[in-house]
Amino acid sequence: MPIDLDAFEPAYKKWVEESLPDYRAGNMKEIIKKYPFIVPDDVPWTDYKGQPSDQTFALLTTGGFYLKDSQPPFDTESIHGDVSYREIPKTVRQQDIGIAHKHYDHSLTEQDFNIVFPIQRFVELENEGVIGKLPDTHYSFSYVNDAVSLVKETVPEFISRIKADGVDVLFLVPV
Amino acid sequence: MGLIQRLVEEAGIPTISTGNAPDRMAHIKPPRAVLVKFARGSMFGEPGNVKRQRRIILDALEALQTMTEPGSIQELPYKWKRPDPE
Repeated sequence: MPIDLDAFEPAYKKWVEESLPDYRAGNMKEIIKKYPFIVPDDVPWTDYKGQPSDQTFALLTTGGFYLKDSQPPFDTESIHGDVSYREIPKTVRQQDIGIAHKHYDHSLTEQDFNIVFPIQRFVELENEGVIGKLPDTHYSFSYVNDAVSLVKETVPEFISRIKADGVDVLFLVPV
Repeated sequence: MGLIQRLVEEAGIPTISTGNAPDRMAHIKPPRAVLVKFARGSMFGEPGNVKRQRRIILDALEALQTMTEPGSIQELPYKWKRPDPE
């Protein structure tokens, strides 16, 4: 596993209890400092084979993007964050995007979402044949601390979703 | 975020990410990443800098094809509001 849940779960519970006052006060540096990063030393690895021009790429951001006319925003109140994700079509336009993420400044992203979700550049590269294919659907997560639910529930479902789309490479952009 | 990347890589799909915080990346250990010198919320530089957005993607695609060591991080040269190197 990329994370030791048996070690993480109790440490996370303790962190939630201890960090709630700081979280409510907006002391994000403090709570990040105390967060129980428990990641094994080994790094997962899948050999990259082939050529981008023959392959299917999916894009993921953690910018807290949602389609403001058709999708609910992320939960931005809970200390656990929000473990869900939103499906963003590759044809998305700036005016379609809402941002639900309290922990970065959205002012630049509101001018050009490509700075954290460069889907329009990917579409150009698809049209030029630099990359093989973009599925119709790409993805946004938001701020999340609850790694337990993420690892046990959301990400396995997400992986099934991108495998069903034939995704060869996942390109991730955190905020 | 790093956790999602690690799980996807472990599930057999190669991944690459952008990052801007070496200390955080040292905790999270992404399988492959390019490192930029931009602040939170603008991983691809200034809004509207289409050429730079494209270059960062192309750099990442190059890194994807050339990195052979798990945990590889390649630093990119771009600077906020400065011209890109030739």
